[in-house]
Amino acid sequence: MDKPTTWMIARKEILSNLLSYKFFVVLLLIVLLTGTSLFIMRRDFRLRTADYQVIRPKPGEPIALVAPSPLAIFAKGVDDAITRSFEVGIIGTDVKAGQSSGNVIYSFFPAPDFLYVVRVVLSLVALLFGFDQVSREREQGTLKLVLGSSVSRAKVIAGKWLGNYLSLAVPFLLASLLGSAFLMLDPEIHFSSGQLGRLGLILALSLLYLGFFLSLGILVSALTRRAATSVVTLLFIWAVLVFVIPSLGTLIARQFMSVPSVRALGEKRQQTWTREVLLSIRDGNWTEHFRKINAENDQMEQDYRLKFERLVRLSRNINRISPAASFLDAASEIAGTGIGEETRLKQEVVRYKDSIIDRIIEDQGSGRRDAQYPAFTYRPRRLAEIFAGGALFDTAWLVFFNILSFALAYVAFVRYDVR
Amino acid sequence: MFKTIIAKEIRNNILSFRFIVSFVLLFVIVTVTAVVLTGDFTRRQQEYSQRQTEIENYLRNYAHFNRIGNVLQATQPPIPFQTLVRGLTADVNIQQFDDDPLPVMFPLVDLTFIVTILVSLVALILSYDTVSGEKEDGTLKLMLANGLSRAKVLLAKFAGGALTILAPFVVSLGAGMLIILVHPGVSWTGADWGALGLIVVGAALYISVFYLIGILISSAHRASSSSIMTSLFVWVLLVLIVPNLSPYVASFLSPTPSRIKVARETDRLGDTDRDALGRKLQAQYVGEVVKQYPVLEERLTDEEVKRRIAEDPEYRKAYEARRAATERAWNEANRIQGEKIRALEDDLRQREAAQTGLARAISMISPLADFSYLATDLSSTGMRNTVHFSRLAELWGRVFYQDYRPKKIAEMRAKDPTGDFWNTAVDMTDAPRFRYTEEGLGGRVKAVLPPFAVLLGYGVLLFAAAYVAFIRYDVR
Repeated sequence: MDKPTTWMIARKEILSNLLSYKFFVVLLLIVLLTGTSLFIMRRDFRLRTADYQVIRPKPGEPIALVAPSPLAIFAKGVDDAITRSFEVGIIGTDVKAGQSSGNVIYSFFPAPDFLYVVRVVLSLVALLFGFDQVSREREQGTLKLVLGSSVSRAKVIAGKWLGNYLSLAVPFLLASLLGSAFLMLDPEIHFSSGQLGRLGLILALSLLYLGFFLSLGILVSALTRRAATSVVTLLFIWAVLVFVIPSLGTLIARQFMSVPSVRALGEKRQQTWTREVLLSIRDGNWTEHFRKINAENDQMEQDYRLKFERLVRLSRNINRISPAASFLDAASEIAGTGIGEETRLKQEVVRYKDSIIDRIIEDQGSGRRDAQYPAFTYRPRRLAEIFAGGALFDTAWLVFFNILSFALAYVAFVRYDVR
Repeated sequence: MFKTIIAKEIRNNILSFRFIVSFVLLFVIVTVTAVVLTGDFTRRQQEYSQRQTEIENYLRNYAHFNRIGNVLQATQPPIPFQTLVRGLTADVNIQQFDDDPLPVMFPLVDLTFIVTILVSLVALILSYDTVSGEKEDGTLKLMLANGLSRAKVLLAKFAGGALTILAPFVVSLGAGMLIILVHPGVSWTGADWGALGLIVVGAALYISVFYLIGILISSAHRASSSSIMTSLFVWVLLVLIVPNLSPYVASFLSPTPSRIKVARETDRLGDTDRDALGRKLQAQYVGEVVKQYPVLEERLTDEEVKRRIAEDPEYRKAYEARRAATERAWNEANRIQGEKIRALEDDLRQREAAQTGLARAISMISPLADFSYLATDLSSTGMRNTVHFSRLAELWGRVFYQDYRPKKIAEMRAKDPTGDFWNTAVDMTDAPRFRYTEEGLGGRVKAVLPPFAVLLGYGVLLFAAAYVAFIRYDVR
């Protein structure tokens, strides 16, 4: 008999997967969830776009509003915060949030977008492909036979990885590409070529992320004697990586970074403007006092932003213990719906406000009601900036996790007692 | 014999690898969460009292009735239960410029999360092979050969299994409570204990539901390796997908008008539209008065008007009538526009309430959502508390605006009758403050009856289904 090659092992894995019950369940999950998620988020996007058409500022109105991005269908992130309407007035920026703030159930459960499906459900699926690769074959006795044909263990593990990865990645890619194609047929949704490129990057990141979980599954499988033990261990590791670390990480970061609560800021703003208005009535020095409101608010806002950015950085660094958090951060920033984008947008809104506030104060002082102001324009961050701002590190980090887990799986497999 | 099986189940589980891992994991996560959340709670408490001090300063120096509503508002203080359940208390604040979107990306970890995700996973891990595993080992045959009814075997398996999950959960929670209670800043009341007890009962029900799902699926499969796949599939759908989809589905079935659009419309109705209507009505009403009193048609300077009012009683009457007509016109304009605004706002509120209700109803298909509502409402951190809070705020607002404000203004008027009472700073440190008190336990319990009932219904149904599947199970 010929020595089996890596590809032959991979092919055998694919064939045995195709016939298994597991593959059936997994296929069902992938198709069902990507389909439902894209469908639901597409309708959500269309609703929000329809809203945007109604509320978009008329020429001359001092309102900063950005259109919802179609990439939010895949990565909702903090898009609800990004697409708020910032209406510049004499005492500051009045903010109006969209519809989701009218339904409190939204804040109970995270949005079921494509990223959520990949990050939470498909990572579990990837583990299910890996969990019994070594231990089950040992239990069934086929491992001995495979290794008995004098094929190197490296080839066996590479073949197993490749075969299972393809069994997962091909249906996943097919479902996502079909879903995206379905979105592109929608006449109301326009992806620019840049956005399509970003979508490609998100898919690539997803593949990287799933690869890590597959290797992790094989690793644990090679460390345990029985498949039942390996599945239990993996489920717990999964729960900790996907849910516990990212949530605890941000809370722990808050213990070390003292950031004022947003309520405190809101109260401060109210106190500042009412105080200054009162004083202006008392001494008549109108413009002076309104300028002071603006200056004090800007100072406070800047203070908060710096602290908040430090908090985000720290919590990101803590969360990076888990590749799930790295993946979420990188993918949502690339989609332009991440926290970094929101911070940038708010900074731009403040800049816009500062560029017209003096005129607004003057116009209000002279009683003009029909004054025209320049429009707000916002250019989302470019990819280069996003990568430099952390996405590159996160991507490299995911690659590192992949290599590490695969290498460890190899080592564990080499030392595995096949009896 | 029944007891023997329960004891056997418990012993089996306790000695197993999966039980030990679950126990250790639960214990570590619950205690770490308790430490972190307690720290967070004391930090929030400190900040809250700081904020109150700032408001006191403001009240002493700058309070004036025209804008006091912007500063003196009802605010929710942190409550001790937030060391366990966070519910809706995360400050995302998306309606304000200063927002904190971190919790949107990374939801907080708390007791609800631990029960709904981790413990339910543990329940499935311990139960997915209760029947199929024993068949594979061959012990199922032996057990049933003892002349024991299958119903009893099933009940014993369920009781033993549910107990082995509940025990580590309660132990971990006990450790967590110890951490919370030794902290000097936290004062736990009797009602809190009652609510916590009910949450544990809810958790027991929730655990039972997932344990029964495990047994049911296990009795529908021949091999444990496929029963774990089905179990996880069902778990993913119930726990990770259905609740998250629910608000989106509800928003399609029962859409609401855009909040921003409504806000812009009400602004317009109350501002430019009202002015236009007011002017129109004024012209109309004043025109009628002028027809009645032709003297008014004369063009006079302000001084001449003053002089004639003093000298000519007829003119004064006419003048008064015109003033009354103007006032009537603007009152009418305010009333008409106010009604339009109220209609729009009521419509929005009703539709939002309908959508929220629908989303909640849909999500209650998922046991996770049932438990979340149960835990958050019992701990005063959920939707029920939002309603309760706004009721308290309204009561306080009435005391402030209907009792305190007129009294204070009368005082100010006594001192200086010509002053501007609205825009003069006055020491308001004697104003009634908003005091938040948690809703009584009775009301909270009433609010959580539906989710309790759904969980219980699930339990009964699943047990019946598991029983049917089990009696039809081929033990060979």
